[in-house]
Amino acid sequence: MSDDPVRRKHRELEKIAMTALRLARILTECGARVKVVHEGASLVVRGLGVEPVGIRTGYASQEITVRSGENTITRMMSMGSHGVNHRLDHVMRALAVQVSQGGMSVEAVERAMDRLVKETPRHPLWLVALAVGMACAAFGRLLGIDWLAFGPVFLGGGIGQAVRMLLLRRGVNAYVVATVIAFLASALAGFGAHLLGSGTVNLAMMAAILLLVPGVPITNAQTDIMDGYPSMGSARAVSVLMVMIFATTGVLIAEWLLGMR
Amino acid sequence: MIHPDFVHLAHQMVFGAIAAAGFGILFNFGLRSLMWCAAAGALALGVRTLGQEAQWSLEAASFVAAVTASCASTMLRRPLGPRGNAVALAGCIPMVPGAFFGQALLGMLAVTTPHPENAALILTSTEYFLRVFFTLAAIGAGLAIPAHLFRNPDF
Repeated sequence: MSDDPVRRKHRELEKIAMTALRLARILTECGARVKVVHEGASLVVRGLGVEPVGIRTGYASQEITVRSGENTITRMMSMGSHGVNHRLDHVMRALAVQVSQGGMSVEAVERAMDRLVKETPRHPLWLVALAVGMACAAFGRLLGIDWLAFGPVFLGGGIGQAVRMLLLRRGVNAYVVATVIAFLASALAGFGAHLLGSGTVNLAMMAAILLLVPGVPITNAQTDIMDGYPSMGSARAVSVLMVMIFATTGVLIAEWLLGMR
Repeated sequence: MIHPDFVHLAHQMVFGAIAAAGFGILFNFGLRSLMWCAAAGALALGVRTLGQEAQWSLEAASFVAAVTASCASTMLRRPLGPRGNAVALAGCIPMVPGAFFGQALLGMLAVTTPHPENAALILTSTEYFLRVFFTLAAIGAGLAIPAHLFRNPDF
């Protein structure tokens, strides 16, 4: 039993639980491992003067139970789409450490999160498209595409990434986006490579869709299972498999249209 | 005179670095971190290429490359801080066998046609699936084991 003379009321506990859950949700949506998410939420809860009893992170929602003396409260929050945002992840972790040192109110933590979400910079769409196109072309070279296919893979990957970001911003289902982008990127790369007389058209088509391969969730799935969170690890692994199935469907359609099947 | 193997090694390291930095931008790494991502990509691809030239399997070479990237990020704890694990992961992204994965799925689809052209297709597709599975496992384990053994105290 806590010897804390201050007993938090349920309304106060609820605010703390929701603030911790919000930080946990942002970390998860930024691609953090479950263990990191739980550590971050625990730092916030303790920094705000109460104790975490338990946290559960699922693919679509999270729950937390916090305690002050004999009072406990459990709250749940749904999750948005999963992605990877390293800079936001980094500043959110720093905020959790800052909160854990004490002296911040729930309102101040909420304001800090609002500010960080709003102000943490993101690379512009054109730069991301350019970088991803170049990454796909470099990936292609590692796989063995010839130099004639390099340009078409760069173009297919870059245009694919730009359209992908626009579709995701419009709220289109991520798996549908995977099929559309795989079709677009592989068709552009395959057609371009064929026109230029490349001898590695098939490889070029595969290289152009590598932007869709969810590398971070694949490794997070394993790490989550190793850390003792098999349900989240399995959910991530299934989502990776689904993305690859939908992406392959797009490539298949492109191959049919280009007469390669 | 440069030995042809060194040319191949340099090629793999350069394109590993470009791929890692490119995906680093997609993952919204800051500009300074991107240089570390590129270095991690070059290191991982360099080690994997040397392993494959020593006749190791893709899986074994990928495992050693991931361990090396993870250990390097641990040793560079001071400049990297808490982002060390993320940088090591970004460096290993160019080793993810996404193309094998796609080819395995396409091969399996070909097998399900009413009259598959040849039985070897089943073997090839199964081989690709197993290679994807074991290579991903090797990369994941290679990144996780050093991170667990040499814990980064920074959050």
